Amino acid sequence: MSAQKRRTFKIEAFKHRVEIDPKYAERTWKVLEHAIHEIYNHNASGLSFEELYRNAYNMVLHKYGEKLYSGLVTTMTGHLKEIAKSIEDAQGSLFLEELDRKWGEHNKALQMIRDIMMYMDRTFVPSSGRTPVHDLGLNLWRDNIIHSSKIQSRLLDTLLDLIHRERKGEVINRGLMRNITKMLMDLGPVYQEDFEKPFLEVSASFYSGESQQLIECCDCGEYLRKAEKRLSEETERVSHYLDSASEVKITSVVEGEMIANHMQRLVHMENSGLVNMLVDDKYEDLARMYSLFRRVTDGLSTIRDVMTAHLRETGRQLVSDPEKLKDPVDFVQHLLDEKDKYDMIISKSFNNDKTFQNALNSSFEYFINLNNRSPEFISLYVDDKLRKGLKGVTEEDVEVVLDKVMMLFRYLQEKDVFEKYYKQHLAKRLLSGKTVSDDVERSMIVKLKTECGYQFTSKLEGMFTDMKTSVDTLQGFYASQHAEIGDGPTLAVQVLTTGSWPTQPSPPCNLPPEIIGICEKFRTYYLGTHTGRRLTWQTNMGTADIKATFGKGQKHELNVSTYQMCILMLFNSAERLSYKEIEQATEIPASDLKRCLQSIACVKGKNVLRKEPMSKDIAEDDAFYFNDKFTSKFIKVKIGTVAAQKESEPEKQETRQRVEEDRKPQIEAAIVRIMKSRRVLDHNTIVTEVTSQLQSRFLPNPVVIKKRIESLIEREFLERDKADRKLYRYLA
Amino acid sequence: MEEEEAGTMVHTNFYCHLGNWGILKKLEQWFIPISMSPWKLGEKAALQALKANPYVDMIVVDGISLLCTDLQVDPQDIVMLVVSWHMKAATMCEFSRQEFIGGLQSLGIDTIEKFREKLSYMRSELRDDQRFREIYNFSFGWAKEKGQKSLALETAIGMWQLLFAEWHWPLVDHWCQFLQLKHNKAISRDTWSQLLEFAKTIDLQLSNYDEEGAWPYLIDEFVEYLTENGIVQRPQN
Repeated sequence: MSAQKRRTFKIEAFKHRVEIDPKYAERTWKVLEHAIHEIYNHNASGLSFEELYRNAYNMVLHKYGEKLYSGLVTTMTGHLKEIAKSIEDAQGSLFLEELDRKWGEHNKALQMIRDIMMYMDRTFVPSSGRTPVHDLGLNLWRDNIIHSSKIQSRLLDTLLDLIHRERKGEVINRGLMRNITKMLMDLGPVYQEDFEKPFLEVSASFYSGESQQLIECCDCGEYLRKAEKRLSEETERVSHYLDSASEVKITSVVEGEMIANHMQRLVHMENSGLVNMLVDDKYEDLARMYSLFRRVTDGLSTIRDVMTAHLRETGRQLVSDPEKLKDPVDFVQHLLDEKDKYDMIISKSFNNDKTFQNALNSSFEYFINLNNRSPEFISLYVDDKLRKGLKGVTEEDVEVVLDKVMMLFRYLQEKDVFEKYYKQHLAKRLLSGKTVSDDVERSMIVKLKTECGYQFTSKLEGMFTDMKTSVDTLQGFYASQHAEIGDGPTLAVQVLTTGSWPTQPSPPCNLPPEIIGICEKFRTYYLGTHTGRRLTWQTNMGTADIKATFGKGQKHELNVSTYQMCILMLFNSAERLSYKEIEQATEIPASDLKRCLQSIACVKGKNVLRKEPMSKDIAEDDAFYFNDKFTSKFIKVKIGTVAAQKESEPEKQETRQRVEEDRKPQIEAAIVRIMKSRRVLDHNTIVTEVTSQLQSRFLPNPVVIKKRIESLIEREFLERDKADRKLYRYLA
Repeated sequence: MEEEEAGTMVHTNFYCHLGNWGILKKLEQWFIPISMSPWKLGEKAALQALKANPYVDMIVVDGISLLCTDLQVDPQDIVMLVVSWHMKAATMCEFSRQEFIGGLQSLGIDTIEKFREKLSYMRSELRDDQRFREIYNFSFGWAKEKGQKSLALETAIGMWQLLFAEWHWPLVDHWCQFLQLKHNKAISRDTWSQLLEFAKTIDLQLSNYDEEGAWPYLIDEFVEYLTENGIVQRPQN
């Protein structure tokens, strides 16, 4: 066997052509065709998958793929045409059901067919560039059913009609709708082209009509509720039986028709529009409006603009209403209440939206500064709170109130005016000992310092220092005097450093002899320990406690002003004094004198003097008597108040003038500073720079700036440029 | 002075000697009519004498009056302002010796005829824009009181009327009226000089007046005055 030749095994294709009998191809096809029929007729159970698969496989293998494929197309098309007919024949609501059912069947059939034709799908189809079986099935469905002339428009109309009915409140078969739309989605662009586009158009006209109707008969709140409801309905509809991509499209249709197109009318609706909602604190309605309008272009800015206009107008009215301006404390309280109201609205309904906050701030800034007494009034408000308004309130609440006041302060353009008044009022509080708490006073100063810098408050702090120092000085004084005073009157002195305290005139006044002694002793003591200083008694600012005995022996302790003390002491040596005599003896200025006399002679319960005639006003030829018959249920009687009050017109003019005078050097200093560093500048730039440098204190008037520039030119700090008269040069 | 002929000296001294008050009385006595004016006599010599004379410090009112007579001009004539300008005179109605001589030298004047001839040249200088501006600005310092920073309103008004008679500005009367009504205070140098710019550049309808144009505030107020009183209808822009 060794001689046996080794033979390698080869497997070779048949060397002869194995021809398939064309008849065989036809027969094979017929089997398959039959199978397809059976499948479509729900008779698939009798079929052998293996056999059919083999048949299809063989056809493709023997190069009859083309025949197979086109056969398939023809057969399926035929069936689909029948199916189309049966759908077309369906009546009424059965139309969609039939369509749905047939679709389901078709899919099942297609599945089976595809399985059978799998070999063809994998080989013949790609190589010949044909549509794969599954997609072919879909396309055929589309072309023969969906786009059949009798079905196409009927389908769309049916769907739209159902949706319309559902919008009108009817219950529809959502599951069926879902199936149908899913079918359309499966067919590629059919959903968008055949359904979604018309759907959106129809919806637009539906909502256009509905919104027209509603806007005529609903008030704003109602309308918005309805709009909101419709929006959520549509979202829900999409989630139930439409393509999720349709959501944003349909909601924007609704937003456009129901909201965007009617924005102005809604906002301005009489009796129910935005302004009414704001006035009545309708938080829910406002929140709804905010969330709806937010969805459309310019929605929020519309709300914001109307709110701003309303705020500015109400604010403007508030600050120009003479009734409201009668009581400064009340006025400021109104401002605070208004601010609280809108803060609440912005937080509850407008989502703490920063742009709304800004609109609120700018509106307040606008109208608070319309009234040039706002700085004075705000200071009076703080004065009132620091005198008595905060008694019994916890420290945190105090901070809250002061912080709210600081918010108003920030809106002021003329902060320097506020400073002047605050100083005046603080001085009065400190000197009359009328402040509720030192800590609260200091807390307020710290807030002002944080806001405006140390320069704003350094003088105020100087006032506190003086008060403390005076206590020590007084102690030292009495320690040095203990032997000599004895029975005489006791003196309490506050030494005020000029410059820290508001400038006061010190008009003359003759102190009673009983007082002069100790006053001089104090002066000597003080000047002994502080050389180089000068002391002036501010008789217009002090108080005195006098023990008085009346007709029936009743004793009272009277708390009066220094002026009043001077007047009353005169009656120790005279029964009757005329106005002129009092004037001469005390040398108190006439207007002050009249006011003092009024408060001790004409006020019930405080009339320690009797006046003839009994008129209310003080006339130059009146006569005064010590009122023996004076009675009071209090042992200690308080006469003479030094409370801060809203300034009279002439006083206001004076303060304003002083403020204007104070501003001039500040403006000049700013100009010089700027010119020193920039050397050459044009007029407008100077004005802008000066304004920006000074705006934390006040808003300088451009005319005043110009005048200061001219004054500086005259004093040769600046000159005009020779070539360009609009430029100024710094002269070193 | 002693070197010269007594007659000449007397005239020369006399002509210029007006600064010393004590001498004034004497001057009245020594009044010599025009025909005996020193200029007719040795001119160069006269000049020399002028230079040398230690007593001659100032020519004031009367001397100027005489000078004007010699020159055959009215003392109020604006050409005297031009003369003062050439002489860089510090104050109106007086010339210091330095100013006077310096001025004559710069003008190349050494006879009274030459002086008179120069007058028409000087008048023509007012026609020149640049010259007019210089003379206008000069006149502020010249017309104001010594030691004052500003020019008294009345004087300013007089000067404006004089100057704007030469270079015609239709609004000058309104300007003066406005000042008397609303301002009633002295005029600063800046306002003075800026007024000419205003008059030269801003048209009579005020259409090219710019509120942001860094004009002195008085001029801003003047514009307001003109529009409020309907004197000028500003075109709406």
